[in-house]
Amino acid sequence: MQLFLQILLVITSLLLVLLVLLHRAKGGGLSSLFGGGMQSSLSGSSVAEKNLDRLTLFVGAVWTICIVGLGLLMKVA
Amino acid sequence: MLSAFRSALATPDLRRKILFTLMIVVVYRIGATLPAPGVSYPRVQQCISGVQNEGIYALLNLFSGGAMLQLAVFALGIMPYITASIIVQLLTVVIPKFEALKKEGQSGQSKLTQYTRYLTIALAVLQATGIVAMADRGQLFSDCKDSAGNPMDIIPGDSWVTLAMIVIVMTAGTSVIMWLGELITERGIGNGMSLLIFLNIAARIPAEGGAILQNQGGLVFAVVCVFGLLIIASVVFVEQGQRRIPVQYAKRMIGRRMYGGTSTYLPLKVNQAGVIPVIFASSLLYLPDLISRLAGQTGWFAEFVSKYVTDQSSWVHILGYFALIIFFTYFYITITFDVNERADEMKKFGGFIPGIRPGRPTAEYLKFVLGRITLPGSIYLGIIAILPNFFLSVTQQGQNQNFPFGGTAVLIMVGVGLETVRQIETQLVQRRYEGFLR
Repeated sequence: MQLFLQILLVITSLLLVLLVLLHRAKGGGLSSLFGGGMQSSLSGSSVAEKNLDRLTLFVGAVWTICIVGLGLLMKVA
Repeated sequence: MLSAFRSALATPDLRRKILFTLMIVVVYRIGATLPAPGVSYPRVQQCISGVQNEGIYALLNLFSGGAMLQLAVFALGIMPYITASIIVQLLTVVIPKFEALKKEGQSGQSKLTQYTRYLTIALAVLQATGIVAMADRGQLFSDCKDSAGNPMDIIPGDSWVTLAMIVIVMTAGTSVIMWLGELITERGIGNGMSLLIFLNIAARIPAEGGAILQNQGGLVFAVVCVFGLLIIASVVFVEQGQRRIPVQYAKRMIGRRMYGGTSTYLPLKVNQAGVIPVIFASSLLYLPDLISRLAGQTGWFAEFVSKYVTDQSSWVHILGYFALIIFFTYFYITITFDVNERADEMKKFGGFIPGIRPGRPTAEYLKFVLGRITLPGSIYLGIIAILPNFFLSVTQQGQNQNFPFGGTAVLIMVGVGLETVRQIETQLVQRRYEGFLR
């Protein structure tokens, strides 16, 4: 069980990094911290972006469950 | 004020944005307390209680909201992202290709952001490895011993598989933080990254305040609170200050309609750079500490670092911090406020500053005014940031840069708070409601 969770966790972690990097870069990073930070909010998100969001959310949920599960296993052990 | 709150929540658009932001905040805080798998939570808690107020950890903890010492999933916080953006910003001056990208406008900018994100992941791997290695070797809590006198084993099953897994999880956590920040920027209120920094600092206020109340007594606590309020008031005062350069627009006939002929002003804030210089300077100062820890805390370099750079009451630290802040203020303003571009824009739309010819003289005038107004702005930033280093040594608090009522923390909090409120404000104005700021 623990091994399975660990493997799943590693896989989802790598996926998560990949998925987040696939997202369109929004805002100018820190450069939009002040002044003219509003212009980016006007562009709507495309369908691909929406699906990517959903996929990221799903993988993120699995990731979280794995972490919590491993934590619980460790507490029991 | 209260009516503004009500109208902010009554606007469906704004309400959705605020609730969305709050939701992300909750997710973020959960992640910041969730321990990474393989880390023994009770032992970490036991160690933290003894070590929290030590100076070395102050900066480490400032940007991660305490998550770092807990070895949480979000232990790295937004530190890698900040470091990555600093590096990319500095590289735009050095590498011609980056400079070309920056000049390209929106598309080039988003490409630069993409580079920043890749760099963030790379840095996250590095930093996570560093922290995990430190925790495994027992250096993270060097004073924390178990009953037998050995260093406490924070990561019990320390096979390399477990360690690698923690590194991977922390890296993924950093990318999730990045995503959360971008989500706030896109669909919520305010700038996500700075809001997350804000959160990390704000999350420490109750604990720090409680510690002062317990250790120093009520009188000191009250004095500190009054000081904190004074600093906040002065920060808000300077933050709102601006010089208004009058700009006159010529009348133009296009078809049968009359355009222009108005006179407006170009606002130049005293503190045009906002909180960025402070964030940059403090995270740069933290780098040597990190390097010396990774190198193993021996040799002349580590000695030098712990004596001068990390020790927040040393003159080298204070002066270095001050100088870095002034440098970054000027650096950031020259990067973000392009006087030539402004002058060209003004010329294109038929505007001019009374008494000054359009084009190059205008650019030179703007540069002159900006340079003059930035000097007090940068000095003010520097003074506020190093203030706690002075007056806290009086109250025996010693080294506490992340002390939440003074210095860096207040600057960042007030700056981000004002920025966020201003964004809510613009949303309210769109609906013609009375805002928070008058």
